[in-house]
Amino acid sequence: MTTAQFLQNLLNGISIGSVYAIFALGYTLVFSILGIINFAHGAIFTLGAYFTYTLAVGEFGINGLLSGLTLDLQIPFALSLLIGSVLAGMVGVLLERLAFKPLRTRGADSLLALVSSLGVALVIVNAIQYLVGAEIYTFPSQVYGDIKPAMMFEVAGQSVVVRTVQVIIFAVCMVILTLLGYVISFTRIGKALQAVAENQTTASLLGISVDKIILVTFFMSGFLGGLAGTLVGTSFGIAGPYFGVTYGLKGLAVIVLGGLGSVPGAVLGGIVIGLAEAFVPPDYSAYKEAVAFAFLFIVLLVRPQGLLGRSMIQKV
Amino acid sequence: MTDFLQNNGFLLVTMVQQALLAMSLYYPLMCGQLSLASPGFYALGGYVAAIIGTIEYFAPWRDSLGWVIFPLEWLAAGIISGFLAVLVGIPALRLRGIYLALATIAFVEILRVVCLNLEITGGAIGIFGVPQLFESRWSYIWTFGPLLMLMLFFSYRLDRSRVGRAFKAIREDELAADAMGINPTRYKVLAFVIGAVLAGVVGAMSAPFLNTWNARQGTFDASIAYLAYVLIGGSRSMWGPLLGGMMLSALPEILRPLKDSRLIINGFVLVFASIYMPKGIAGAVGNLKNFTTRILGIGRSEK
Amino acid sequence: MTVLLEAERLCRNFGGLKAVSEVSFQVAEGEIFGLIGPNGAGKTTLFNLMTGLTPVTSGVLRYRGDLLTGLPPHRIAAQGIGRTFQNIRLFKGLSALENIKVSQHVTTKSGLLSGFFGTPSSRAEEKRVEEKAWELLTLVGLSGRAAELAENFSYGDQRRLEIARALALEPKIVLLDEPAAGMNSSEKYGLTEFIRAIRDQFKLTVLLIEHHVPLVMNLCDRIAVLNFGELIAVGEPAEVQKNPAVIEAYLGAE
Repeated sequence: MTTAQFLQNLLNGISIGSVYAIFALGYTLVFSILGIINFAHGAIFTLGAYFTYTLAVGEFGINGLLSGLTLDLQIPFALSLLIGSVLAGMVGVLLERLAFKPLRTRGADSLLALVSSLGVALVIVNAIQYLVGAEIYTFPSQVYGDIKPAMMFEVAGQSVVVRTVQVIIFAVCMVILTLLGYVISFTRIGKALQAVAENQTTASLLGISVDKIILVTFFMSGFLGGLAGTLVGTSFGIAGPYFGVTYGLKGLAVIVLGGLGSVPGAVLGGIVIGLAEAFVPPDYSAYKEAVAFAFLFIVLLVRPQGLLGRSMIQKV
Repeated sequence: MTDFLQNNGFLLVTMVQQALLAMSLYYPLMCGQLSLASPGFYALGGYVAAIIGTIEYFAPWRDSLGWVIFPLEWLAAGIISGFLAVLVGIPALRLRGIYLALATIAFVEILRVVCLNLEITGGAIGIFGVPQLFESRWSYIWTFGPLLMLMLFFSYRLDRSRVGRAFKAIREDELAADAMGINPTRYKVLAFVIGAVLAGVVGAMSAPFLNTWNARQGTFDASIAYLAYVLIGGSRSMWGPLLGGMMLSALPEILRPLKDSRLIINGFVLVFASIYMPKGIAGAVGNLKNFTTRILGIGRSEK
Repeated sequence: MTVLLEAERLCRNFGGLKAVSEVSFQVAEGEIFGLIGPNGAGKTTLFNLMTGLTPVTSGVLRYRGDLLTGLPPHRIAAQGIGRTFQNIRLFKGLSALENIKVSQHVTTKSGLLSGFFGTPSSRAEEKRVEEKAWELLTLVGLSGRAAELAENFSYGDQRRLEIARALALEPKIVLLDEPAAGMNSSEKYGLTEFIRAIRDQFKLTVLLIEHHVPLVMNLCDRIAVLNFGELIAVGEPAEVQKNPAVIEAYLGAE
């Protein structure tokens, strides 16, 4: 591998890895609070991308119920991204109220949460298909405004391409991670969140409204999922209503690698898997999709608590 | 009647097939193990049948054996699935709960990507023109039907046998079962292998039924669909996966008049069923029976 | 006396805590052997070491001279060591009868296929399992409620069912962890008689953990006293009662 190839892979890996990280954080936050995996997270990822697309572009293709309709919005991309992610966060809240809370209050088997969240995922994905069709949506190239789509660098006689999208993705992810880290570590709500994750009963005895914290968690989770969806969508296009499924699964690999419920673990896991995928040799690129799952399987067998998770202690 | 079968044969056979796949998840669950590996073994079994049915190497066998090649395909699929299940199961079944579920999802995905890239599995296109066992779709009930009967009888017997009791004891309290002389690893792997062999055989029966086989046959969506069958049907008795598999796989067809919105409704059904029937359809039927018994004051009085 | 069970310098640490430390004792065949001590003295941990549920840190455990340490719980159970649990671990979702049938696992052989085909030997075996389960349920006075789920039983009935389940193993040794917990005094007296009766009927050796001192003094042939993970006295009830270290442990613990 030449230096240029190495740098190119590193750049691609970190860029996509940072998206994996913020997406996986959405899973891990919910897991740390409720101990369950939200199988609708991939659908919210998809939904976020469509929300932003609608706000920024305002067209709906030719296959769905809304075909031909145009919205005269043309909101700048940065603002659309924010609003779209907030909307995804609100869908997250709705999801918790519809699919998780009723099960919790009934003290139902936690396996059922997998099915009910899958039900919501089906609703979201098929509603998207119904409304805007199954075609691929691509953000227009000037979505970020009037800047060059890519820059080239010469390294030892070979070129390294830095796409503007990659820079934006990385920058947005860093901002979000910093903000999230600040919120969790230093604000009242973040501390309450940690307390609930530690022990719900104790937290509620301390006067923390557990129900409110759960809502906040689902909002943040949905926000992160929707944001990640948009970022991937701007980079590679929105490949139909099902495009979140693959990312939904990769996200699972990321959180297990980092340690279920661990926030720094999700970030580390995202970067590691992003890099591992980027460094798959071109001859084996067809197996790239299996990298995350190979990691997932091996980590579970060798170190089930993940890189940064707490070890599980079995009680007698 | 013939018209009805002509028009709905495919659906009816699919319902039986899906019920069988739901049962393949039920055996590990009997031990309390949430394994989502079935689609992987189902895909594997289908590839085994499709490969034996199409490649040049087996041509003389196909010519001389005639229809006997089909049961041999099922057998081969069962053996290969069982063997792989032992290899995967022994390390994976040390994991509990959601960790096992995730490991089995990873297994399914790895298998899928591998099949997508191998030459022998036809890559992304898959394998076309898998020889048919019957002329009409409906006739495949003669393969899936008897298998379902066999599995129901098997489950009935298992529930009342030494091995089945060991399964249930592990589900209830693995540690106590261990202290009562039951080797948990051994029985968990056994239950996993039973599920895998069943899924593999169903796959091998399905390749001729569907005429074609590709990597879309074993996906994450299928994992969750089968889980939904078992949980919505009821995971505490063999009737659960049967009812859940048949009803949920028929649901999109029943909702067909709703056209494009039917899959949305399907999603809502999953949500509400998990909330309002936490013990599944079989559990809800059981409750209803207890309720009527109590109201009418007949039958065994319980407590 | 024939030594049946022998512990030699058993140790178990949890992090820095020495839950069981250098404990050595011998149990003779047919004995009722009591294990007492203040809360947190390491009694239940010792039971868990003996049944393989908790691995030992160091030390050796022998049964009829054969090494038990290092074996998984089910292998130890198969040697004929049955137990009950302090916090009752019945198979809650199974019926009382099934709970006892489960426990006949090691004394039966039917496999997956013989069970499926209903071979004559597996049918005969199943019949024996059924009969034995009823016998044991009758023994503990629960035969009238065989089909009820274990979770619906009262606390005392659950304890009795758990003893019946341990007996279904056809054990040589049973370990009873606080069998009298939650019982009133007349029930406790009944339990004393019951434990003696099953010892004689099944030729058992009984180890039991118990807090209620009069019951232990009355029932046990010999007693071992644990305090902070260490064995401070072993002997006949009358001796142990007079042992100054024991008196201090109990009074000092207040």
